[in-house]
Amino acid sequence: MKRWLAVYAVGFLAFLHLPLLTLAVFSFNSSRFTVWEHFSLEWYRAIFRDPQLMEATWNSIIIAVCATLISTVVGTLCAYGLWKRGSRVLMGTLYLSLVTPEIVTGISLLALFQWIFRWLHWHLGLYTVILAHVAFSIAYVVIVVSARLRTLSRSLEEAAMDLGANEWGAFCYVILPALAPGIVAGALLALTVSFDDYVITSMVAGVDSETLPMVIYAMARRGASPVINAISALVTVFIGILILIFERVREA
Amino acid sequence: MRLRFWFVMPTWVLMAGLFGAPLAIVFGYSFLTRGYYGGVAKPWTLENYQRLFDPLYATILLRSFIMAFAATGLCLLLAFPAALFISRSVKHKNLYLQLVMLPFWTSFLVRTYAWLFLLRDTGLINTALQKLGIIHSPLPLLYNDGAVLLGLVYAYLPFMVLPIYATLERLDPSLPEAAADLGARPWATLLRVIVPLARPGIIAGAVLVFIPCLGAFLTPDLLGGGRTVLVGNLVQNQFTTGRDWPFGSAVSALLMLLVTLLVWEFLRRETEHLS
Amino acid sequence: MNRRYFLLGLAALAGCSRDSRPHLNVYNWSAYVAPDTISNFEAEFGVRVRYATYESNEEMLAKVVTGNSGWDVVFPTYTRLKPMLDYGLLQPLRHEWLPNLPNLDPRFRVPMWDRELQWNVPYMWFGTGIAYSRSVQPAPRRWADLWNTRLKGRLTMLDDPEDMLGACLKKIGLSFNATNPGELQRAKQEALAQKPLLQAYLNAEVRDQLVSGDVLAAQLWATTAQQAIDADPNLAFAYPEEGFPFYCDCAVILRESERPHLAHQFLNYLLRPKVAAAAADYTRVATANGTAKALLPDSTRNCPTLYPPEEVFDRGEWAQPLTPEAQRLRDRIWTEIKSS
Repeated sequence: MKRWLAVYAVGFLAFLHLPLLTLAVFSFNSSRFTVWEHFSLEWYRAIFRDPQLMEATWNSIIIAVCATLISTVVGTLCAYGLWKRGSRVLMGTLYLSLVTPEIVTGISLLALFQWIFRWLHWHLGLYTVILAHVAFSIAYVVIVVSARLRTLSRSLEEAAMDLGANEWGAFCYVILPALAPGIVAGALLALTVSFDDYVITSMVAGVDSETLPMVIYAMARRGASPVINAISALVTVFIGILILIFERVREA
Repeated sequence: MRLRFWFVMPTWVLMAGLFGAPLAIVFGYSFLTRGYYGGVAKPWTLENYQRLFDPLYATILLRSFIMAFAATGLCLLLAFPAALFISRSVKHKNLYLQLVMLPFWTSFLVRTYAWLFLLRDTGLINTALQKLGIIHSPLPLLYNDGAVLLGLVYAYLPFMVLPIYATLERLDPSLPEAAADLGARPWATLLRVIVPLARPGIIAGAVLVFIPCLGAFLTPDLLGGGRTVLVGNLVQNQFTTGRDWPFGSAVSALLMLLVTLLVWEFLRRETEHLS
Repeated sequence: MNRRYFLLGLAALAGCSRDSRPHLNVYNWSAYVAPDTISNFEAEFGVRVRYATYESNEEMLAKVVTGNSGWDVVFPTYTRLKPMLDYGLLQPLRHEWLPNLPNLDPRFRVPMWDRELQWNVPYMWFGTGIAYSRSVQPAPRRWADLWNTRLKGRLTMLDDPEDMLGACLKKIGLSFNATNPGELQRAKQEALAQKPLLQAYLNAEVRDQLVSGDVLAAQLWATTAQQAIDADPNLAFAYPEEGFPFYCDCAVILRESERPHLAHQFLNYLLRPKVAAAAADYTRVATANGTAKALLPDSTRNCPTLYPPEEVFDRGEWAQPLTPEAQRLRDRIWTEIKSS
């Protein structure tokens, strides 16, 4: 049985990884079609020559960084607060926000913003996208940091306070450093989810806030193009590097 | 004491403003009428909910359920042996786990597009099969329910592996040993001992896969070619080109209700199980 | 701690790198200007144009209908003008800011949808017909040919309620502009009968698929079809015998625009004969600009797809704008067709 399992595992991993590898391989194909012509970097060059794509990538980065910062700070504080005394309602709301279908989150945020704009005469823009991303990232951060908090002993805080620290001091100098890997993990999760989001972003994006997933989607709708292969390969490598960094941090 | 309040306050505000309020607005919209060219207008009405009972939309809901069930079932079948393998391997557990999770970290869009690239009429699979002479004209692999199912399974497979692995890992190895001592063959041990013991993990994985599949939008949109209309597509359509926000809101409300019920039921069983 | 400040600084920096030039936001159909039209405008007027594209009127309207989308100039098909007016979305045009207006073709100077050109400037016009690969024998000549089962899986129709239902109506011999619920229901039955044969409902996206051979026949606008034919001479275009619609895409300025003068300058720029000719020649669209048409190369000016000869032209009808009730009915039928 063990042998069958091993064979199966190889097949399983191949199924998971081959489609992505094929994408990457064909991104170096000079021909538009899936017949291999010769090795070429022309599609990669096309990416850098496209100002719309570059702007969209930059937007994606800004949005991801801002949203991650906000949601990590808010989420960590919340996780700590909940650790001291739980709140079923808040926990339930956070879980609910996780399972809400993305399309429902997207349209509900669009409805909210349009309703507010009736009075304020503002437009959809980068800030609405950032707010939307914060909305769905907080739950991820809270859950990851909470999991980490559960591994800490409560006596840690008590000990710090016995030694003269106040609550805030205990939090800053004792709990936070112990939580650091969990915070980084939560932040990384929030970053990945935000960078990759299409559905919610497409509903609340404004004139100036096109993101990379939106560009990829528009190109994919127009039919397969090797440029998408190249973009996909680059995105995968970029995220892979992020993960590697995370692993290093975690082991440190 | 006060510090804790300030710590939790920002989350309360953000959740209330960016999650609770929007959902409340959508719920309110579901009782209004559509404006002529989009938006909402006055007469309050129950018409949108009545429309949900129309067989056309009930079919869409049913189809979404079936698709989600099928995807969950397939994920379960495919993920269980893999999780078993990883839990039993001695040396490289972490490595295998990371390899399984790696596709999850890459972009969802990219992973869905990969199947677009493979399944098209001029995609890799068809070109390869034609070159090998196995077929003469391309197979219609894309833009149908099968492609959507494949895309969903591929996207959510890691979500099924992890919980099952977590449960199997904590399994007491003496139990299957005891079964073997009592004369059970490997298959029997698997089906009668291991699978039932892995039930909590299976259920967790099933919930993690079923719920996103129910509300899926991107996969049917890209791989279904606008012909596979599931609940997620219906909602998006009503809020953009369909110009019927109230009806879209009603469908969303129904979807939220279903999802909440499922999660409630699941959490209830989990806490029951623990206590 | 240091890491966090660094990232904060990055974000702040990003905010600072905004352009100081005046902005103009233009939302247009894809492939509707020449590659250098926008950059030439930017250079000449010292402005920055944010130019984005859409594939359907509905997509554009969905963004614009709430009145605070951020766009200045959009290009609706004229049938959507009245609804946009009803919703108070448009700004009246000031002709003193549009000295190039007389360049328009006489047919478009007093168009039936806006006799005084108070709200729009006609831009490009086209008909809808069938784009097909020459490998399809006999060649499709009528809408009814698109219901032929031999095309199964290699056929697309437009993702546009007006065009799609219109084709069904024409197939059963009714007027393209029918509003009678009974007639529309019959058209819906036709659409449902055809749906199993379709690969998808696609707009201009299908161009690439026609060229690559994924799709053998498609209901398509003449302009997009011509673009596909240019890429692959094995493709052809036919104006169906039962009749077909004509449309005109028009440039309008949204009421929410805070830059009306610059927007007018942009419209005026597009009316310049050389600019319009360059756009029309590159994009293979029939321009509404008469002076520009004279500047086009012969091959483009006499292209039967873009500028159909008289007898073909007479078979077409200009699409009528719909009343809100008719629009609602069509929207609902469209949802039903797409959901089944």
